[in-house]
Amino acid sequence: MKNACEKWQHQLLEAALTGATAKDLEEHLRSCAKCSAELDELRARNTRLDELLPLVGQGAEPSANFRARVLAAAGAANDRQRARPWRVWTLAGAAAMVVVVLMIAVTLQRRTVRMIPGDELAAAQKLAEWRAPSDGLLVTPGQEILRTMPRLGESYLNLTVKTDEEE
Amino acid sequence: MTGACVSALIARAEAHNPEAGFGECIAANQRRVFQIAYSVLGNSADAEDVAQEAFLRAYQKFASLREAEKFRAWVNRIVFRLALNRLRGYRRRLARDTAWHIAETPVMVDGAKDAEQRVMLDRLRREIERLPEKLRNVLQLSLVEEMDAGDVGAVLGIPAGTVRSRLHTARKLLLEVMK
Repeated sequence: MKNACEKWQHQLLEAALTGATAKDLEEHLRSCAKCSAELDELRARNTRLDELLPLVGQGAEPSANFRARVLAAAGAANDRQRARPWRVWTLAGAAAMVVVVLMIAVTLQRRTVRMIPGDELAAAQKLAEWRAPSDGLLVTPGQEILRTMPRLGESYLNLTVKTDEEE
Repeated sequence: MTGACVSALIARAEAHNPEAGFGECIAANQRRVFQIAYSVLGNSADAEDVAQEAFLRAYQKFASLREAEKFRAWVNRIVFRLALNRLRGYRRRLARDTAWHIAETPVMVDGAKDAEQRVMLDRLRREIERLPEKLRNVLQLSLVEEMDAGDVGAVLGIPAGTVRSRLHTARKLLLEVMK
């Protein structure tokens, strides 16, 4: 194709695709052998494209067991979904059981603590009140005074403190 | 989708029985759904995986699909998106050309013509891959049997007129490059 014919390229493509030729292109084709040849070539190419394009996806078929496979997968998914509520209830039941067992255990433990035999309790009380005979030897002069610390304004010697007014 | 399939889906929804009618739905739609995936992915193994996933989603989400008549358009859309997602994943790892080269060879006629046609077909696939995405999607979906401009438009979310216009542009580009 001549360089001057390049402007006809778009119309040639359209003519090859649609099969319709515009009047100005028709006039040009009468005087231009190269463009006529180009149009013939494009038409042939278009026919070849028509044959080839359907082949791009041809031969692509799902396998014979495709449907069975999808149904099996769907069935499995369904089973999983059905199993879910059962699992939730099982977990809830197990949790409730644990709580009940714990409550029973705590209650029983408290009862055991309260049921201390009377004689054991009396012995424990006696033990708490027991003083060793040697405790008397440890008594030092002034210990009693130190045990009872005087408050502010009080005397160690139990003497009444005279105020300014009494003096 | 056949009328029987639609009726089966409605019956299923009404009866709250998830299995009923699903097998018939697969039978009525599997070829087209598979071919949509194949048109995007270019190999049978992946196309079958994606088609299965699309049907499983359809199965699990059918309750939210209010109108059973739209099942066909819905599953078309789902399988196309799943296929595109998978393709994008692959593209991160390997060149798309490889997938086309390992694609199954279509049924051919004979000897020399067979070889020539195979070469042309490989070239055509590569040229389709080089098309802008919008044009490529329209062309690939249009090559699927049972898919008219309306169906393709429903999948891509564009009017049928736009589908025809893009298809025309795509073919013009292919005509130009397939010397």
